[in-house]
Amino acid sequence: MQPSSRLFALLALGTALVSAPALAEMSGTLNLNGATGLIDMPSGDAQKDATFSFSTSLIGPITRGTLSFQFSERLSGSFRFQTWRDWDTLIPGEAEESDRSIDLRYQLLREGRIAPALTIGLQDLTGQGLYASEYVAATKTFGDKVKVTAGLGWGRLGSDGGIGAPFGDRPPVDPPGVPNSDQWFRGEAAPFGGVEYKVNDSWTLKAEYSSDAYVLEDDERGLLERDSPFNFGVEYQRNPYMRFGAYSLYGSEFALAFHIILDPKSRATGGIVGKAPAPVKARPARAVDPEAWDAGWVSQPDAGPILRKNLAKRLAADGITIENLAYTADTVQVRIRNGRIDAGSQAIGRTARALSHVMPASVEVFEIVPVVNGIGASKVTIRRSDLESLEYSADNATLLRERVTVTDAGTAPVWSLGDEDLYPKFRWSLRPVVRLSEPIEGDVGMRLSATYDIAPGWVLSGSIYKEIASNRDPSVSTSTLPHVRTDGSLYNQFGDPALEKLTLAWFGRPAENLYSRVSLGYLERMHAGVSGEVLWKPVDSQLALGVELNYTKQRDTDGGLGFDEYDYDIVTGYVSAYYDFGNGYLGQLDVGRYLAGDVGATVSVDRVFANGWRVGAFATVTDVSAEEFGEGGFDKGVRLTIPFNWAMGTDTRRGFDLNFRPATSDGGARLNVDDRLYQSIREYHTDGLDPDWGRVWR
Amino acid sequence: MKHLKRALAGLAVLALLAGCGNDKTPNPMAAAVGAVAKTGMAQLKGKKAGAAPAAQAASPQDLRAELARAGQPVLLVSSKALGQTGFLTVSDSKGGVLTWATPDGATFSQRDGVLIQTRGLGFDLMSAQVPSVAQLRQVGTPYQRVYFFLGPDDQGTRRTYDCVTSMAGNESIEVLGHTHATTHITESCTRSSGGGKLTNEFWIEGPMIRQSRQWVSGGLGHIDFARVID
Repeated sequence: MQPSSRLFALLALGTALVSAPALAEMSGTLNLNGATGLIDMPSGDAQKDATFSFSTSLIGPITRGTLSFQFSERLSGSFRFQTWRDWDTLIPGEAEESDRSIDLRYQLLREGRIAPALTIGLQDLTGQGLYASEYVAATKTFGDKVKVTAGLGWGRLGSDGGIGAPFGDRPPVDPPGVPNSDQWFRGEAAPFGGVEYKVNDSWTLKAEYSSDAYVLEDDERGLLERDSPFNFGVEYQRNPYMRFGAYSLYGSEFALAFHIILDPKSRATGGIVGKAPAPVKARPARAVDPEAWDAGWVSQPDAGPILRKNLAKRLAADGITIENLAYTADTVQVRIRNGRIDAGSQAIGRTARALSHVMPASVEVFEIVPVVNGIGASKVTIRRSDLESLEYSADNATLLRERVTVTDAGTAPVWSLGDEDLYPKFRWSLRPVVRLSEPIEGDVGMRLSATYDIAPGWVLSGSIYKEIASNRDPSVSTSTLPHVRTDGSLYNQFGDPALEKLTLAWFGRPAENLYSRVSLGYLERMHAGVSGEVLWKPVDSQLALGVELNYTKQRDTDGGLGFDEYDYDIVTGYVSAYYDFGNGYLGQLDVGRYLAGDVGATVSVDRVFANGWRVGAFATVTDVSAEEFGEGGFDKGVRLTIPFNWAMGTDTRRGFDLNFRPATSDGGARLNVDDRLYQSIREYHTDGLDPDWGRVWR
Repeated sequence: MKHLKRALAGLAVLALLAGCGNDKTPNPMAAAVGAVAKTGMAQLKGKKAGAAPAAQAASPQDLRAELARAGQPVLLVSSKALGQTGFLTVSDSKGGVLTWATPDGATFSQRDGVLIQTRGLGFDLMSAQVPSVAQLRQVGTPYQRVYFFLGPDDQGTRRTYDCVTSMAGNESIEVLGHTHATTHITESCTRSSGGGKLTNEFWIEGPMIRQSRQWVSGGLGHIDFARVID
């Protein structure tokens, strides 16, 4: 086919549609790469803000598993794990090749009445280049059924039907893993395009003209035949969460796609389900019943234990336990441990309601101190009369917040009644666990965990993991750095079952706005030692600062207690700054020395949602050279937390954590110690409480 | 495909496993595997609004007599979205607000019969600025109605409507075997920005709302209320 005839074909696809332009709301759909687009090509569209998708596609001998996240209205990113089978068809060697890639896309223009949506994208921007391409794509909606996309691609997307190299030749990838910016938009550029036709809410037809020649798969490896640049397909949206696609690709292949599409902003169940709270109990008017307001109860010796018992009974229904109760005639301070409710504000609201039932009428001020790991995270002070008067008011959440103060937790009053039944407290559980190292690779097993709260702030905990099934491929580390992370395969192989952790931790409040942690023991499955941390975080501050210092020895791979295999010990430490940018965007900067002795810095950005979803990315650059680091050049990856309550609408604070890296290396590695301070306490500071403050009345 | 099969096999293993321990936090892992696919409505449909199913067959008069024997006010609530009908009793009464509760812990709070809050239904109405009965009777006089919800990501959201009532006429209605002479008033509301309309229907008997059909939230739509026992 001549370039001119290809262009004609492209135009034909576009002009085949006769429809009056109109403004229409049709959000973009996902392609075989798990990115917003047509079939194999991207488009100018974006997903709805905060959409999280998990896509699996099969294209003959190629499998792609992709996680994508619309980080903001315009910016989105993907993490992809791609496998090529029959890799040895033409060239002897491994039968299977796999590659991880990271994409970034930015929508330059939102679709307007006349202007199309315009997106610029970088595909596989840091990999070894197997999938690297760049593009600009424009998409215009016609009516409410038709979308037309035209774009220009470089790299793989410029490999067929090129129209010249407007920005010069494309140099080879060197070194692999670092952002290959020298290559971006270099080399041959080629046009691509296509049409989407939405038959109805469930069915969509797509046709596209691809500019990807599949040089690697067809010419070099003989995995598939690319006979034609045209792809056709049909997609079926089963419900808001699931989308299926079936395609004819390149005149020779059949492809399937399956997408799970999640909206972290809206619970799968539509709203938080769970029992209604107890109504606020109104006090009798002082004039009517002056006796009820008498403060004489304070001096009764048995008042304290009775009040605590009654309060504990009411709070138990919400999974809240009392750490401490202190009172005077007009003020009560209760220190609570919130075991179940995912929103700090709701736990506070439920506690306040319970206090309104239990405390004598003379008590006007409720001080509620949420306690995390034995230390006070903040103090929320609510006036009882505000609680009574606002319960049924319009916009009661805003009105109550204006009258509530959130301050440093301070220390428990000296006259407070501890709970002699609370410490020591032993808890244990045996639960199934999924540990994923790639979107579709990992293991499942059982984890036996136990925690022993010795005294406030003193926690002894441990866990043992036994694998049941795994689909991980064993790998051998060739790293020239100390193998502080890359022997993970050995730890999986020999450490089954393994003692994952056995630690004694001490949490404290050395002064106002200061939080401290010291952890001692088998801190994680590869390293043991001592880890200390101090955090400065005023309750209403967007900024927090921390320092961490660790001394660790590398553990044996058998998951036991020994240190014989490695003879490796190291002091690591960081100075950290945390900043809450608002609207759920958190940034963190750590500067210090990493496990392999390398010195550098980590930057991470997370988007957190009030319901507990968390999606972020991190990158670490240290003085380890890209060659020493190995594949990937420097450490980076994506991480996410999906809370169970989002999926089920029930009260639970537990979630599912995932970390994905394009390549694991020994450079830029940090100790995985539990209960780092910032995450533990932020929920009860104003930046954690305010976004979903409305749940105080839930 | 091999990877996928193994991953699926792993999930299946998980689904079969249930955790144990004395840690009372719920064990959602096994449930989570299947629960994601279900939508909220399915879950909500499982809720019982505290109906007396055996009594359905009985005559309205017998049922009313049985309800009256308890000697407390009863509200009949029925929701199409929840697929439930039930008789509710008062769990809280203060300052003109009655809160009606189902046995499984969902509540409806009404100020003089006008709905101002729900809890435990999922798509709850968190609070509302509503007209009084006197306002409803002032046909043709416009006023504002504001609904407050927990929107996406549990952030507080509001919907403001400009409303006006109109007289639909005097109607004789039957509530569980009793006939009531009521004034039927229709409240028509238009969203102040962004469009959107809704209507509420009230059947007012003297100073009280005998029966109503009131909008609750986007997820629940309208719910019917009838005051059976005063």
